[in-house]
Amino acid sequence: MMEPLLEVRNLRKYFPVRGGFFRSLLSRRQMWVKAVDDVSFHVMPGEIFGLAGESGCGKTTTGKTILKLIEPTAGEVIFDGTEIFNLPPQELKPFRRRMQIIYQDPYESLNPRMNVFDIISEGIDIHELAGSTSEKEELVASALEMVELTPPEEFIFRYPHELSGGQRQRVCIARALVLNPEFIVADEPVSMLDVSIRASILKLMLKWKEESEISYLFITHDLAVARHMCDRIGIMYLGKIVEMGDIDRIIETPRHPYTQALMAAVPVPDPTAERTKVMITGEVPTPIEPPSGCRFHPRCPYAKEICKRETPGLVEVERDHVVACHQLEHSIHL
Amino acid sequence: MPLLHIDHLKTYYKTLRGDVKAVDGVTLDVEKGEALGLAGESGCGKTTLALSVIRLLPDNGRIVGGSVFFDSTDITKLDSETYRKEYRWKRMSMVFQGAMNALTPVYRVGDQIAEAILCHEEVEEDEARGRARELLGLVGVDPERASSYPHELSGGMRQRVMIAMALANNPEFIIADEPITALDVIVQAQVLHVINDLRRKLGLTMMLITHDLSVIAETCDGAAIMYAGKLVERGTVIDIFKRPLHPYTQGLVGSFPSIRGARKEMESIPGSPPNLLQPPPGCRFHPRCPHAMDICSREEPPLVEVEPGHLAACWLCEGG
Repeated sequence: MMEPLLEVRNLRKYFPVRGGFFRSLLSRRQMWVKAVDDVSFHVMPGEIFGLAGESGCGKTTTGKTILKLIEPTAGEVIFDGTEIFNLPPQELKPFRRRMQIIYQDPYESLNPRMNVFDIISEGIDIHELAGSTSEKEELVASALEMVELTPPEEFIFRYPHELSGGQRQRVCIARALVLNPEFIVADEPVSMLDVSIRASILKLMLKWKEESEISYLFITHDLAVARHMCDRIGIMYLGKIVEMGDIDRIIETPRHPYTQALMAAVPVPDPTAERTKVMITGEVPTPIEPPSGCRFHPRCPYAKEICKRETPGLVEVERDHVVACHQLEHSIHL
Repeated sequence: MPLLHIDHLKTYYKTLRGDVKAVDGVTLDVEKGEALGLAGESGCGKTTLALSVIRLLPDNGRIVGGSVFFDSTDITKLDSETYRKEYRWKRMSMVFQGAMNALTPVYRVGDQIAEAILCHEEVEEDEARGRARELLGLVGVDPERASSYPHELSGGMRQRVMIAMALANNPEFIIADEPITALDVIVQAQVLHVINDLRRKLGLTMMLITHDLSVIAETCDGAAIMYAGKLVERGTVIDIFKRPLHPYTQGLVGSFPSIRGARKEMESIPGSPPNLLQPPPGCRFHPRCPHAMDICSREEPPLVEVEPGHLAACWLCEGG
């Protein structure tokens, strides 16, 4: 039995809500945004695990908290056998090299005052990976080749404003790859890019998954992209994973009403495709004081009394497919 | 006669570094009752084309050539007062991109819709307000929300308010510029549903601008693809998705992952769109085209009708 590379256990991240002056006079009660609320999953070596959901469901916060870029409220993250949340900073540092992140917006995640060489070599300096300047140059050049920014000499002294969106995102990937990581959090890496560019960036990520056995946590709101990229996926709604498992099983036989609605809402790029629309009404409520019980119950077409009272736990419905729903009977015949 | 006939339209933006040829000789027809999807990557000129039709170009933009016929009248030749009174928002209107920010934050949404009515019709304020409430009902927003301010509404509701506003004076033609971008998937589906529904109920002619081809597959009858200021292909959605002729369209259709059917390899188009200050000579797609020939870098391919109703601008299609 292979050990997971990364295991997340009962992760929670609550942000305090700062009320206005008058509200603080009226009520002493502290309010919280429960961005991530008891989330557990694992990522196997060489696997792409997807986290999907609508904006505000907590998928980005989960990604950042795992890397301890945001302090967790509670929970554990075990990376390659070591619990990293309780490590002192000096001992955490080697793990920082092994776990990298690619951000959503390449227009904001590159320092406009640094050139490509400085951007990529910053991590090499921090982790002291190069003995000499020439070695450093070689590392940067090979990282640029890995992301197909060739010839490297042409890009190495450019500044971000001299690059297109796709090229910028490649620099972001090179910045992560140069440290030879085992795990990368990819936070919506293509959502800001033009469609014709997207496919090439996704292909690049798949290539490095195959060749260097890099595992990814792939955060996305686009299920069609998730299906293309991921091996397993977790569907999040208001800070909780509501359904998780093998990507094909979840896409073909979704069991949670939210997943089903999400799936039905994805537009299909084929004018002759049959369209079945399960419409759910309303929009995601605010995560401040979310609904009781199952958080989806106010929008759920199958909600019953129990859904308002009790939070459903994840139960296994088939191998590698878990669902958190009280009303699983409704979806059996679909 | 099509309802909208765009004829060799050229719209340039003046910048310090020269003219940006955002729309450079586009000819396009929209038939009465048709929903046309206009697709292309950012910067290909699709929004500029729409702003030229509705005549709301920014100060540095101007139409330098060609004409736009709406119901047989060349609206580029009308003086701005006549155009404002008789066409814009009366016979054609637009749902702007980024509805989140297109509403005034300091007025109630009902009053904003009523304002559009009062500008064009001699009616009492009360009647206009009443109609604003009806319009909100039509797009699926509780009419009580007329007295809300934009910040009190969710993104999806604000987008519906924008649609209601575009419908205020019963126009025949609506341009929707990326009406569902920046909304969540489920809300996107809800708003698309509203648009489809209204189209059927009111018999609207529509031009839907988007970068997302799957949205066009879901809502439109016809599709037009733009690249670097030029129209490269025009046909029915079936033509475009099932028998794309232009290599750019083929790449674009192939690069869309689908949630249905077998998982297939995504295609990618190498390179990135050109700078419109100095577009490449000949066919503007030739530097990225897998089938580029000698002629492509020298001469611009004309838009030819390859099969009835299916037009493409590519040397490969010339002569069948």
